[in-house]
Amino acid sequence: MEVAGQIVSGKVGEILIRQKSEETIELGDLLVVEAGDHFLILQVFDLRYGSQISPSARELLAGMKLEGFGAGLDFLEPELRNYVIAAVKAVARVSNDGKDVKIPKVLPDFFSSVRHIKKEDLTFLTKPSNPVYLGKVRSGSKTIDVDVYLNALDVFRHHIVVPATTGRGKSNLVKVMLWSMLGQDKFGVLVLDPHDEYYGRHEKGLKDHSKVKDNLLYYSSTPPAGTNTLVVNLRSILPWHFQGIVMFTDAQQDAIKLYYNRFKEDWIENIVRGTPVDGVAPRTLEVLQRKFDTSLGVYLDDAGNLQCRNKVFSDTAGTTTTKDIANALEKGKIVIVDTSRLLDEAELLIGSIVVSQIFHRYQSYKSTAELDTKPIVSVVIEEAPRVLGADVLASAGDNIYSTVAREGRKFKVGLIAITQLTSLIPRPILANMNTKIILGNEMAAERRAIIDSAAQDLSEDDRTIASLDKGEAIVSSNFTKFAVPIQIPLFEKYIETSASKKENEKTVFVG
Amino acid sequence: MHKFAHISDCHLGAHRDPVLQKLEFAAFDKALTRCTQEEVDFIVISGDLFHSNIPDMGVVNNAVKKMREVRDKGIPIYVIYGSHDYSPNETSIVDILDSAGLFTKIVKGEIEKDTLKLEFTEDPETKAKLVGISARKTGMEEKYYEILDRETLEKEKGFKIFVFHSALSEFKPDFLATMASVPISYFPKGFDYYAGGHIHKQIEEKLPGYNKIVYPGPLFAGYPRDLEQSACGEKRGFYIVSFDDKVEKVEFIEIPTCEYIFFEYDASNKNSTQAQQELVKRIKELDVAEKVVLLKVKGELSGGKTSDINFSQIRNILTENGALHVNINRFGLSSKEYTSLKVMGEDVREIEGKLLKESIGSVKVSTEALKGEKGVHLATELLNALRQGQKTNENKKDYEDRILEKAFEVLKLREVLK
Repeated sequence: MEVAGQIVSGKVGEILIRQKSEETIELGDLLVVEAGDHFLILQVFDLRYGSQISPSARELLAGMKLEGFGAGLDFLEPELRNYVIAAVKAVARVSNDGKDVKIPKVLPDFFSSVRHIKKEDLTFLTKPSNPVYLGKVRSGSKTIDVDVYLNALDVFRHHIVVPATTGRGKSNLVKVMLWSMLGQDKFGVLVLDPHDEYYGRHEKGLKDHSKVKDNLLYYSSTPPAGTNTLVVNLRSILPWHFQGIVMFTDAQQDAIKLYYNRFKEDWIENIVRGTPVDGVAPRTLEVLQRKFDTSLGVYLDDAGNLQCRNKVFSDTAGTTTTKDIANALEKGKIVIVDTSRLLDEAELLIGSIVVSQIFHRYQSYKSTAELDTKPIVSVVIEEAPRVLGADVLASAGDNIYSTVAREGRKFKVGLIAITQLTSLIPRPILANMNTKIILGNEMAAERRAIIDSAAQDLSEDDRTIASLDKGEAIVSSNFTKFAVPIQIPLFEKYIETSASKKENEKTVFVG
Repeated sequence: MHKFAHISDCHLGAHRDPVLQKLEFAAFDKALTRCTQEEVDFIVISGDLFHSNIPDMGVVNNAVKKMREVRDKGIPIYVIYGSHDYSPNETSIVDILDSAGLFTKIVKGEIEKDTLKLEFTEDPETKAKLVGISARKTGMEEKYYEILDRETLEKEKGFKIFVFHSALSEFKPDFLATMASVPISYFPKGFDYYAGGHIHKQIEEKLPGYNKIVYPGPLFAGYPRDLEQSACGEKRGFYIVSFDDKVEKVEFIEIPTCEYIFFEYDASNKNSTQAQQELVKRIKELDVAEKVVLLKVKGELSGGKTSDINFSQIRNILTENGALHVNINRFGLSSKEYTSLKVMGEDVREIEGKLLKESIGSVKVSTEALKGEKGVHLATELLNALRQGQKTNENKKDYEDRILEKAFEVLKLREVLK
């Protein structure tokens, strides 16, 4: 055994290890203490200096070196007198055959030797039947050649949150996850993509997957060849799709109700056209017209034709778009909706229409006992506090996304919420999100919110999270044995290793 | 200023009923007559001129006579295959009439290095350039679009028409939500006119990069649903497009063929006897003389069987009252007491699709092609192949051979059998 250190003191939750000279123990390192028929996995959460020399002697020696009184001065046998103390916590107790993994409830033997973790210690991290790939196990900044997967069937319906600040690799992680899922038909994923970064229009992306043709749909207002035009018929939009997304006064809501009761699916068109309805004041109608103009970009041109500034909403085209998306999700496909040219409200509204359709279909499947045959549907939503933020929910009320966050698991519908500001999401919702893939975050308040709602006790990991580099993450989940530190591969590198060739079928042309 | 006519989905030979056969041809005859009256420079037929690849010869004879009359007046006709008049293994009547010089099939090209390069057909008089992609069965033409060399087509100068016979995802009507479709992004951009067929609904649209996307819909009716839609007010006809170097005017020319009457009866909460009595009473009040009657009976009977309602009697009453033709749709009718139907739908095809979808899970097979959506697709195709009737003058042996051949083709067993 290559000893890295030795346990010298501590208590449950904070075991102190003296680092062996010439060995390096890093923050976040995984260490192992062997103990007969099992071993303990320890994780470093703090590092400090230890010394046998009194502080005044050390200060004197430093002063002499600094002031030129003895350049050759040093400690006698420095490797014995000065050292590093690592504070660690035991994260897992593993039987030697790797079959039994438990939360440790006892301290390791006092004065035990510890070593760095090896690939062989992690045989219990197996590939599940419906895998979502996250990366490799990471010990400090070292990557261990052990793949980390989550079982999508477990984690998706219990929601995932990906908290991180800008530039820590959120999109890269989601791309890696989606790539690994493409082609499995047990789960459909709706990706609302406000930065148009997943499909890979101009660079490597999901479009390069061998199974893209049958398993991925891409919708954009500027679709590349072979992909779908994002055009949604106004008749697909129903009053409740705006719930919690666009704010209406009581008078406006009453007016909407009157228009919907009278014109059914044509209610928006009639509002925009200014069809008078008894009980709706002209002023209210004007305000509603302006609201639809600003949120949907829908207006009447001088010739009296209904127009849409962003071409995404139409009174004639796109009749089946949201239905097609919902159908694809129900078949276990990934659907990416490029919303980069849309305003926030329009993006969330399109998501709201599709998610409502799926949610209500799945509610009905549950009542007819068909739900078990349906794939889990997950919705990737960026900047999640836009719909899950406490202030948004307080002012605008619940929306379909918060409904899914609270009740989705019963109906096999989940969220993958990506956010920089976890603290804005109310605790009850955050607590419902049972998997957290934590990337680097320099904001203390955000780290605290993540730690407080994690599936495992991460109370000592504040510094570790703060020190996570780009691509490094911690996976805390009800479905992992412990909070697993991972190294997420760079998407471009990952697809080189996992790509399979697209099948080229010979086509015969008949004129 | 030049003019061309855009006709689609004539579905000649779709009907067995003599009255409907007559109306179907009348619509075609009127449309072509109108084209000559309007002195169009050419006619584009964007697929499904005929309802099958080898239609009844009487139907062909009538159509040929009419088209020859038009051609003899110096009006060329340009066509592509539709999903109905195309067959992957048999010569289609479209090929024969093309070879005979009655019209010109404009889908020309070849696959070079996995890229489909299409050639334009230039109309000699107007110099309009036409190019198109024919349909294959159930949206299989998507493969052509995948490998289409769009850039070369986009670069071509002049007045350009792109002819196609596919549903476009962006313009699928709600009732065709499950139909195979292609996104418009597959099409070359910048053409002056996109002449579509396959969707049985009149559509005139545009999207960024695609100026005029037009579906005339069927001239008469390919399916009972078309008759129902016509009875509900959907206009049937074709387009006449005026152009110079760009489209100047697009005008829909309505071709009325007959009067319709659509009557929907909801039998919910009535037993079969009550429904029968009320239905008889209600239809007697209708003025059906010289009209095509579309009767739709739906709902869930509170008692009795759906077959207790005597639809023959109802049909007879309507016929005796002078109806030209009676079509009764009772696919949406069920009974609380006797639930013989597990799924509901608007027409036979929808119900078949739903039944297959529902049943496919209970069939244990190891071959991927027989599972899930693929399995449903294959079963639908096989059913379509097997349901074809015997043609006039076709002996039993030939008929059996033809059906077997079609079934082998669907199942891709021909090579195996060889």
